[in-house]
Amino acid sequence: MALTETRPDTDETLTSSLSANPAATTVDGILGSGDHKTIGRLWIGFGTFFIVVGLALALVASLELADLGALAIFDDADQLTQLWSLGRDLLLFAGLVPVLIGIATYVVPLQVGSSSIAFPRGAAAAFWTWFVATDVLVLAYIMNGGPAGGRLDYVLLWTLALGTMVVSLLWAMICIATTVLGARAAGMSLERVPATSWSFLVFSVSGLLSLPILLAELVLAHLDVKYGFLPTKADRTVLVAILDTLNLAPAVFWVGVPILGMAVDSIGVHSGRPARFHKSILAVIGVYGFVAYGADLLSFAWRGRPVAFDNGLLVVAILLAVVPVLLTLGLVGDSLAKGKAKLNTPLIAALLSGLLLLVASAGAILGLVDPFLGFIETVSGNTIDFSFDLVGTSFYEGVRALVVGAAVLGIIGGVHHWAHKIWGRSLEDRLGWLSVLAAAGGALIWGVALIVGGFLGQQRPPFVTIDPDNSIEIVSWIGVVGIALLLAGVLLLLLNVLGAVAGRVGSAAEPWRGTTLEWATASPPAAGNFVEAPIVRSATPLADLDPSSGVVTSNDTSDDEGAAS
Amino acid sequence: MTDITVYEAIPARVKAPEPARPRLLLIGSALASAGVIMLMAGLLGIYIKTRADVIASGETWLPSGTTIPLTQPNMMAITLIFSVVIMVWAISSLSRDDRANTYIALGLVLLMGFAFISQTAYLLSIMDMGAADSPQANLIYAVIGTHLAIVGAAMAYVLVMGLRTLGGEYNARDREGVYGAALFWYVSVGLYMAVWFAIYITK
Repeated sequence: MALTETRPDTDETLTSSLSANPAATTVDGILGSGDHKTIGRLWIGFGTFFIVVGLALALVASLELADLGALAIFDDADQLTQLWSLGRDLLLFAGLVPVLIGIATYVVPLQVGSSSIAFPRGAAAAFWTWFVATDVLVLAYIMNGGPAGGRLDYVLLWTLALGTMVVSLLWAMICIATTVLGARAAGMSLERVPATSWSFLVFSVSGLLSLPILLAELVLAHLDVKYGFLPTKADRTVLVAILDTLNLAPAVFWVGVPILGMAVDSIGVHSGRPARFHKSILAVIGVYGFVAYGADLLSFAWRGRPVAFDNGLLVVAILLAVVPVLLTLGLVGDSLAKGKAKLNTPLIAALLSGLLLLVASAGAILGLVDPFLGFIETVSGNTIDFSFDLVGTSFYEGVRALVVGAAVLGIIGGVHHWAHKIWGRSLEDRLGWLSVLAAAGGALIWGVALIVGGFLGQQRPPFVTIDPDNSIEIVSWIGVVGIALLLAGVLLLLLNVLGAVAGRVGSAAEPWRGTTLEWATASPPAAGNFVEAPIVRSATPLADLDPSSGVVTSNDTSDDEGAAS
Repeated sequence: MTDITVYEAIPARVKAPEPARPRLLLIGSALASAGVIMLMAGLLGIYIKTRADVIASGETWLPSGTTIPLTQPNMMAITLIFSVVIMVWAISSLSRDDRANTYIALGLVLLMGFAFISQTAYLLSIMDMGAADSPQANLIYAVIGTHLAIVGAAMAYVLVMGLRTLGGEYNARDREGVYGAALFWYVSVGLYMAVWFAIYITK
């Protein structure tokens, strides 16, 4: 592939006729664009904003909950439930998943050597539908809608808005998955797809196969509310359980799938040594997606109830979730051990996101102890005088907090890694370090505080715990500090990005280069992404670049050892 | 007498280029189909479980006074099965560049779709079941309504691809869009068979 090529002489007649047309304004360029780069930036920008809003709402709700026994901020418990639920809706469906989709929309077509995302107008429509639906969702809450809302019309609006958000996210996932499956460069077989693109394929397909069930629940909830089967506010609190299914372990591990892929690519670049066992890593990420998908399905069947040992498949899903994370970290450990790792923001964020995901997966296993002991009691007929009593406590919220933290760290790492590709400027590394440390520390503190609170008997939010000896109150306040730190980490990222876009921080020089195709084009790439359609012969096409010809042609190095070379 | 030179057909030396982005619409359609299958699977799963719980508690599933006749659901099934055959006709015609037959077949598929929607509306009217009367009725309406929406989406897809074929975008060399629409149509028909068995047959 000729990477730098003189453009052919332009037809002057054509040029003059084109210049006669009015130039596209910035507004035209944003609102009417089907360019995956513009759409990706929009997803990332607005998604990050909603992560900040979601975490800020979680912080306010936690402040209220930490002050045990009294409502200091809100007038009644319903308001607290509304705010807590809004924060949860926004964090997942308006924050984490949209930012991940944004990174995928921007990076995946470049990584697979495509000139655009599949169905560009569909991808743009997905973003704008999601954007409007998210605004309507917030409006529904403001007008006393939401799952514990008092005004029926706005509760109906909440179900419609949330359903529309889910449909638009699914639509975006179809575009991403189709790009990986059908728009790859010549020679890029599925086993040569970079880990990030592969993980987004797994993420999208497992989302496509599990999120429609959430949609089915929302259809039924809408009709139940509309036709008077949930007449009182107390009845409508069951609607909160609809979102529990995706927010609690093991289903929430689904968000971790692309985190693993991004970590693999990032570590490969910043250690100077691409992952050696490429195919094995793809297989492991696929297994993680399969486990997360299975867990999603089972969680929907379980509808937000705590895990029980008689649901053997759910137990297996929780037990299995830790294995792929551990294996992925082990497999990329080779790059770290044998490469020359540069301790920069993307590398640290990638490592810490993987480790947090590992802690979350391992932590979820603790929740199996009680059901396991109950199972032993049933089988043996003997009474066991030991129990953690985690049912209905904040334990699983703690696991969720760790996964949220891992996702935030993955996003920080991913945005730093591809910032130059996305905005044409790298981000400030020292500020990046600060954001990573704040986010990692915050997520760990928040998650562990909730897990410990669960062991002490702290009720699941948004339920207020009565605490006679103040031990839970202390843990709750520690959790508040954790959320505040995590929020600070995201704000620092936002500050860094805004500074880079304004040209105040970072550098215009390309800070690093990888061996996958996105590094073969300009930063940011021009329309069409590549001067010529790339031809790929291994999982690391740029490592095969013949410097004398500037063409990607080399021996076939599709095996694991070759990929490493 | 005029000499007439007869030229034999000259085989093309260069194969016609493939479509620029092959298979994208078909892959997208397959993914969307998987999504709607899971949507209906979720609804039917909840329906079957709720029905089993109600029957296990000793009650009857359908509200008193509600009857589901079999004639209309069976006719609807036959209509959709015919539409599948006609869709195969459309694809076969397109693969031979027989555009007239393609348009007729795609038009007939749309007609079958309208007939299905019309029959469903009639069936719901004679079932005499208000959505607010009971949770069972609510659930039945949710399943039937969602499936109707899927059939509507499939009809819109067939219509758009038909118009694109009319505009010359799809032909014997590039049939992908019509293939994608056909796949989504087959899935919507398959889903009706599940609804037919779960709701109309088992009642």
